[in-house]
Amino acid sequence: MRTEPRTIINFLSNYFDIVRELFDIQMKDGLIKTEELNRILSENETDIENKLIEYKFLKKISDDYEIRPVYFKFLEFILSEFKPLLPETIEKYEHSITSLFKKIKEGISKDRNILLQRITDLNNEVRDFTDAVEKNTIRLISETKELKANVDKIDYREKVRKASFWIDYYIKPLNTILDVSHSQSITNRLLDISQYINIRRLNFEDEVTRQQFEKLYTFLVQINDDLLKQSKILTNELLPLIERIRSESLILTGWIEFLKNPNKCEVPHLTKAYRKLPQSNNPYHNALEYVEQFLQSNEIYLNEPEDALSEKWIFNKDFYLDKLKKELPQTNFFDWAGKTLRTEYKAVETEKFFSLTSLLFEEDIDLEFDNKADRQIIRTTEMNLRVPKIKVKRHGLS
Amino acid sequence: MDYPRYHRDIVNDLLDGKFVLATDAKFVELKNNGDFYGKFFKESFDFYLVIKTEYAFLISEETMESLSRDICIFLGVLCYELDKEGKNFLDEIQYAEFDQEIIDTLFENSSYIDLIQNNNQLKNSDNRKQFLGTLNRRNIIDRSSDRKFTFTPAYREFMEFARNFAKGKLQQNTVDEESQGA
Repeated sequence: MRTEPRTIINFLSNYFDIVRELFDIQMKDGLIKTEELNRILSENETDIENKLIEYKFLKKISDDYEIRPVYFKFLEFILSEFKPLLPETIEKYEHSITSLFKKIKEGISKDRNILLQRITDLNNEVRDFTDAVEKNTIRLISETKELKANVDKIDYREKVRKASFWIDYYIKPLNTILDVSHSQSITNRLLDISQYINIRRLNFEDEVTRQQFEKLYTFLVQINDDLLKQSKILTNELLPLIERIRSESLILTGWIEFLKNPNKCEVPHLTKAYRKLPQSNNPYHNALEYVEQFLQSNEIYLNEPEDALSEKWIFNKDFYLDKLKKELPQTNFFDWAGKTLRTEYKAVETEKFFSLTSLLFEEDIDLEFDNKADRQIIRTTEMNLRVPKIKVKRHGLS
Repeated sequence: MDYPRYHRDIVNDLLDGKFVLATDAKFVELKNNGDFYGKFFKESFDFYLVIKTEYAFLISEETMESLSRDICIFLGVLCYELDKEGKNFLDEIQYAEFDQEIIDTLFENSSYIDLIQNNNQLKNSDNRKQFLGTLNRRNIIDRSSDRKFTFTPAYREFMEFARNFAKGKLQQNTVDEESQGA
């Protein structure tokens, strides 16, 4: 039965000290001997051997054990401790990257799906390559810092021997892989690829493929920056290693050891600034806080009060039309409208007055007015209106 | 009761977390009345007064104070980077005038960049500038202009810490080796 993933993670967390110790042994010896495993378990007074196998953390190899690669890589990553890869292992990426690139160029106008798959594969291959370079640089920096700190108190001759080993087998070859001025370096190959992809991302006809080229191009630009950074570290920090280990200082050893995990070490206990001042000793932050309140760009909405909404007058046309019809005939429609509003609301509001005016346009209303007659003035709350006298007949009768 | 000369300034400076330097007239008074001030700060604030040849300062049991750790990281990276440049880092820190631009270049190209970027005080040029302002207020550096500074003898306290830290590690390694050999 498949184990619940959370159970495995909790298990690794609960027994992390043991896991860490097993990782260190495998990192050093390549495998974990049964007696080593038993020793660790008995020292920690626990018997989790079955669980380590059940959760597929350990794999039995003959009489010994091995941490499964997926867990080993995970631990390498979270502990930032990597097994150094020989440069020839990294160089293999040159062949895979070159071959994929060649196939992309050759098949550029052939099957679209194959082309898309090749672009994705190239992306993955470049990512694996840069991961390998980064891991090696981290490991090499860590090794050189160890040599510089020299906590093991090895003598100068041994230090030089170790430094030469790292330089000859790892640092120089890695530098060749990353060196832009070296025509065969992978970095140079990636630059060529980047140029080609740059053109394709702009002019390729199919949109989906164009987007994939765009994605790969952005990735390659970022990778180029990362590799330059790694190359700089190699040139500045790792290649001059022999020079650097010539001098030794107890203080520097202390700093290198401290910087390995600075948040876990005891440091001198200075006091916090204790004195309380009547004025602020943080004028910058106080001023910033004051200014920031005016920088808020949130939009402000003003909602009308709900009761105002309920007070809004709605014209009930049917009601007023009935009223008008009942009171027909009218010799002066606007007089009638004014009086009606005044009776109901004690004032003639313009909006209401105009609403009543709309009754004149009803189909079954007959109108009659003298165009030459004097206009009369109706006073509303907002204005004075000059209106004609309009007669409204009752169903055709005057 | 008669208080020593500069009493108020001495108390204020030390409570502000400053190092009182031997070049300061207050230092002589503080040193001459070391017993009195030792008791005064212990009884009043539960702080310990440390008086060395070139400086004096207060230490506390307060573990939430983070400036000290930031100073150690700052000096640790600086020493490592100066050494990497082929310089005698102790001479540089004791005698040289630093420009913030140089500090920025050293920190931005450091292999400790992950550590630097995860530290709020040191992660970028602006924050480092403010951090140097704090060191200046505490008399750990002496700013000659907005961007230039020299270290005061107070830096020795942190070098001493690094030296002791290394000794502790070396001792621990010897014990480990002996126990493995046995």
